[in-house]
Amino acid sequence: MMNKSVVVIGGGPAGLCSAIEVAKAGGEVLVIDENHKAGGQLFKQIHKFFGSKEHKAGMRGIHIGEMLLKEAEDLGIEIWLNTEVVGLNANKEVWVIQNKKKSLTVQGERIIIATGAQENPINFPGWTLPGVMGAGAAQTMMNIHRVRPGNKVLMVGSGNVGVIVSYQLIQTGIEVAGIIDVGEKAGGYEVHMAKLRRAGVPFYPRHTIKRALGSTCVEGAEIVEVDEHFKPIEGSEKILDVDTICLATGFTPLGELAWMAGCAFLYNPSLGGHIPVHDENMETSIKGIYVAGDITGIEEASIAMEEGRMAGLAVAWSLGLYEKEEYIKYAASVKNRLSQLRHNIHEGKSQKSMVFPSKERLLKGAVAIVECTQEIPCNPCEASCPRHAIMIGDQISNTPKIDYEKCIGCGLCVPACPGQAITLRDYIFSEEEVALSIPYEFLPLPKKGENVMAVNKDGQAVCPAKVVRVVQSPKYEGTAVVTISYPRKFFYEVASIKI
Amino acid sequence: MNRIMEHPILGKMEDKKEVAIWVDGKILKAYEGEMIAATLLANGIKVCRYTRKRKEPRGVFCAIGRCTDCVMVVDGIPNVRTCITPVRDGMKIETQKGLGSWERSEKDDE
Amino acid sequence: MEDIIICRCEEITQREIEEAIEDGANTFNEVKRFTRCGMGLCQGRTCRVRIEKMIQEITKNLPRQGTYRQPVRPVNLGIEGDLLNE
Repeated sequence: MMNKSVVVIGGGPAGLCSAIEVAKAGGEVLVIDENHKAGGQLFKQIHKFFGSKEHKAGMRGIHIGEMLLKEAEDLGIEIWLNTEVVGLNANKEVWVIQNKKKSLTVQGERIIIATGAQENPINFPGWTLPGVMGAGAAQTMMNIHRVRPGNKVLMVGSGNVGVIVSYQLIQTGIEVAGIIDVGEKAGGYEVHMAKLRRAGVPFYPRHTIKRALGSTCVEGAEIVEVDEHFKPIEGSEKILDVDTICLATGFTPLGELAWMAGCAFLYNPSLGGHIPVHDENMETSIKGIYVAGDITGIEEASIAMEEGRMAGLAVAWSLGLYEKEEYIKYAASVKNRLSQLRHNIHEGKSQKSMVFPSKERLLKGAVAIVECTQEIPCNPCEASCPRHAIMIGDQISNTPKIDYEKCIGCGLCVPACPGQAITLRDYIFSEEEVALSIPYEFLPLPKKGENVMAVNKDGQAVCPAKVVRVVQSPKYEGTAVVTISYPRKFFYEVASIKI
Repeated sequence: MNRIMEHPILGKMEDKKEVAIWVDGKILKAYEGEMIAATLLANGIKVCRYTRKRKEPRGVFCAIGRCTDCVMVVDGIPNVRTCITPVRDGMKIETQKGLGSWERSEKDDE
Repeated sequence: MEDIIICRCEEITQREIEEAIEDGANTFNEVKRFTRCGMGLCQGRTCRVRIEKMIQEITKNLPRQGTYRQPVRPVNLGIEGDLLNE
């Protein structure tokens, strides 16, 4: 039996952040992860995160993962990879299997369980056919293994996972034949839906999947409209030609170890089901056992990281590594960031639709247009503007307000928005033409002088356009900015280019 | 070929050593360290096994080693989760029928 | 209505599970013993949540978790080292 002061089970964002806090306080901590690389789901998240600068907004999940791993390495945190925790009890004894070969037990003084969550499937005839897989499974195949899971996908579920993975599928050249949801509106952020609409992806609200078609693997999908009681409406069936069906239908916290240790649970469907009860310091009903991340309820990665910090700080304090005042100070800033992230996240109220600047301002030259009308916690746009023309304020879930008089049309905000909701428009580009600059994250990258098709908000062709400039910069974190010119009469209609 | 050689965010795929594996008697090219299921999907192979009772096809479902639908017979050993098992040069992979058997044999009809 | 497989590993269908619940299996553990759901290779990882919801829908009881027993990951026989229960 080995002894370790603090054992963190799970090396994802919550686990790593908790270990980092313990190590920063001078504690000895061991992180155990069953994968061959720590980082949890972060290395599948190739998109830019939302939130504020402190929440690493604007940074891609993969880079946040690398940053956390480096911080852990610099702090000398011990990490056991390829090590599965197969048992945990109330005495804080952890039973592990290393490399599927060696069994050993570790006695911890404090345990932090950060085991995350698992994808939920939905069941329908044909769901066992090869080609039906979780949205996370498709993400793993694409972003970790660099393999396309299929060529034409139906995405079931329009929450943030469904819409983010749909966009990532398109980025690899896969066609998304449609996104369906039983609800009447998409569940994910509006900016994610807007990106997909511009790319011409059909959204079928109030639809469910009736069956997967095919004999040895998926060859099609039959979807059907549902009424307000979610009952299928006969005769409304449609068949989609797809070879892959991705299920983005929710997550369930992985509480098995916490259950075995005897932690008390409560049932909360909006957080994913059975979750271990914990206090504001993330301690469970078993003294010395803490939880952090999606195991405490399904929320976002940024929240998982803050909860990890909370648990790490609380553990450090409980081991006497911090004085009470120090602990209270650090904990207060984590709590503040957590409440900012949680503000309005479930309501996501929408403001009235976005308004263009006055003709007077348009006649002065290029100006930024921010199409972000939902109250979600996010503010990289504010930080990106050198003239402070974009205002959000302390409540980061406020929608951005632009001061068009201050805006000089530099376009630095365009690649900064994680939701790709900002464009630059120049009404007076030339005598006949206007110009639009958009964020672009697809291959092949358009070339200067190339002829492209300009599309509207719904991805429909509007008019031919010419590429006048393509800018890539390390500061843009992988997002290119493409500028096109087209006839002035289409100024208000054009929103993007056909991929 | 379903490999993503160039990705707008992840960049170019790094050069990896090529290895050869056998899948149901046919040679496939794979990259060292790649998961078996990824090699199969890259080559358009979606069926990993047929179930015991209904003899129905199954393939990758969770891709992270939890659901066990991607199991195949690898080097004579059945129930190997191909989504989390890396390939090795010369590895022999067979579509699993039912629960598989521990003896390497031509047919598995139970 | 078509019968759908719920337990992928053991190929147990929705109707079989509903019958078991109506016969008196009121927890995941009981459904497992009646039908073999959750006894296959994945040990209920894929079907457990759905079955607990089905039990809740049919019995109108508050959902109760089934038990978890270590090891919660597949362990090869013949590994070296100590086992927790030794």
